[in-house]
Amino acid sequence: DNTFHAEDTLYSMLMGELENGRLVRLMAKLGLINERPEYEHNEQWSETGERYYLKLFRDYVFHAVDENGRPVVDLGHIITCLNKLDAGSAELINLVSRDEQTSLIISYKELKKGIETAFNELVRGAARR
Amino acid sequence: MESDWEEVLMVPHPGQDANHLTSRVTTLAFDTSQELLWTGNHVGRVMSFIAPDLRKYTSFRAHPTGEVKQILFTDKGVLSVSPHSVHLASRRGLTQWHMTDEKFIDLRCMSFTSRGTQEILVAGFQDTMFRVDVEKGTIIQALPAEDNYSIMKKGSQYICAANGSGAIHILDPGTFKIVKVWQAHSSFVNDMDVKSDFVVTCGASPRQQQGFMLDGLANVYNLKTLLPLPPIPFQAGAAFVRMHPRMSTTSIVASSTGQLQVVDIMNPNAVNLIKQAHVYDSTCLTSFELAPSGDALAFANSLGYMHLWGSPSKIHFTEFSNPLVFADQVIPPPGHMDWSQDTALNTIGIPYYRDVLLSAWPSHMIFEVGAPPPKLDPILLANLKRSDNVSYAPNPKKLHRNQIERTRVVDKGSAIVAPKFLSEKAREAASSPNGERRIS
Repeated sequence: DNTFHAEDTLYSMLMGELENGRLVRLMAKLGLINERPEYEHNEQWSETGERYYLKLFRDYVFHAVDENGRPVVDLGHIITCLNKLDAGSAELINLVSRDEQTSLIISYKELKKGIETAFNELVRGAARR
Repeated sequence: MESDWEEVLMVPHPGQDANHLTSRVTTLAFDTSQELLWTGNHVGRVMSFIAPDLRKYTSFRAHPTGEVKQILFTDKGVLSVSPHSVHLASRRGLTQWHMTDEKFIDLRCMSFTSRGTQEILVAGFQDTMFRVDVEKGTIIQALPAEDNYSIMKKGSQYICAANGSGAIHILDPGTFKIVKVWQAHSSFVNDMDVKSDFVVTCGASPRQQQGFMLDGLANVYNLKTLLPLPPIPFQAGAAFVRMHPRMSTTSIVASSTGQLQVVDIMNPNAVNLIKQAHVYDSTCLTSFELAPSGDALAFANSLGYMHLWGSPSKIHFTEFSNPLVFADQVIPPPGHMDWSQDTALNTIGIPYYRDVLLSAWPSHMIFEVGAPPPKLDPILLANLKRSDNVSYAPNPKKLHRNQIERTRVVDKGSAIVAPKFLSEKAREAASSPNGERRIS
């Protein structure tokens, strides 16, 4: 019985570690594509561009605020969002820009595809150099 | 428009930022497949509002500069045009494509061509028109424009284009050649509508000492016979006109002060109905649109307010509308979580998935880790200034910002050379005159 218990613990620990690795890789991808200075004058990333929503998603995940406008530091929110992004779920979210003027409705699936394309572009850029 | 029509709603059109309560509506359009009213403002923003209470649905910046001139709909999304760019976004606000060109000098209008919603013709106050592929977002062809056009609308057989001097050019939608020119007004065309075989226009003519004044009639033209029909008299000065989508000979004419009149084109002297919109003094209507169902009409005034008219009980915009999609309610993670050192991150589950996860890292990428840290530039160290806990030095600007130095290559450089055969060594010794002995 003790052996089974130990094995279970070991497995759950392992699962946890696997999860960490997955989340770190996901965060690395997001970190790599967001706010690169070379994108500053790129049309795709501007307010009228095809990639604008990736900026807004970063704000949605990491810059969440409560009803009084205070920042919400909630690892739960971040991980929930990242997990949904990772799996590319069909759930729709509402992204709003900082000036609250732009408001889009987008699914995690579309976000995932967008990030993948942006990341692949970066990888190709790195290979060329 | 039935007799029970009245103003259902008057709401401010949202401003361009927090400092502006309202913004000018430069164009209005009813969606053809969803219960949405779309507006464009003078800084290039496109917004949509849900029927019947005009709650804001989506909003996005479609054009970096210039006002939104016209909005058209396809299955995939919303096309908008501003003087320097053409934009396609999905109804949820995602950009599909954005097109700019140095030849887009002053675009004003667009129209679908003979190829359904796959192609548009874009024109304006400039010498070229463009055929644009709606699927790909590319220019198919640049055509020389016969004239400068401000309004374009497509009827059943022809594209009708209003030029800057009061004439309507009737273009063939396949070849874009002028079939016929009709001088509708003497100075400019303020508004035009085309439905099946009829064109109705509102325009102005110059008056002595008073500049331009709107004509007291709306002109009608038959596209089948290519001949003008008797005009609709409208004493208040016809500013806007729309044909009823289901009653093919009925039109609604509006004055700039908000007088609305329903007239049958075939019998223009018998006025069916007159209504007066509540418009404040010294404000005027800036745009006017009738819903594709014919059961609602919207107009905007110069103060930046949107008016919605219809019969209060059964107002809807489209006859067969697709349901709107909204953001899903986010289910908060169960309970309050205590993020201590050993809370496993997998306590929050991942939804079911079938595809490759986004976090999958490409396997072909090999990285070199564990190289010695880069040495600080000696110039940097020489100019070091200490203050509190941080040292400052001017940036010598030798490398890019955040450039990763290849410390291994720099440090060892020529130190490791592939071992050479004896013969090679001999050759090398012969070629180098000083015959320096190498340590290998």
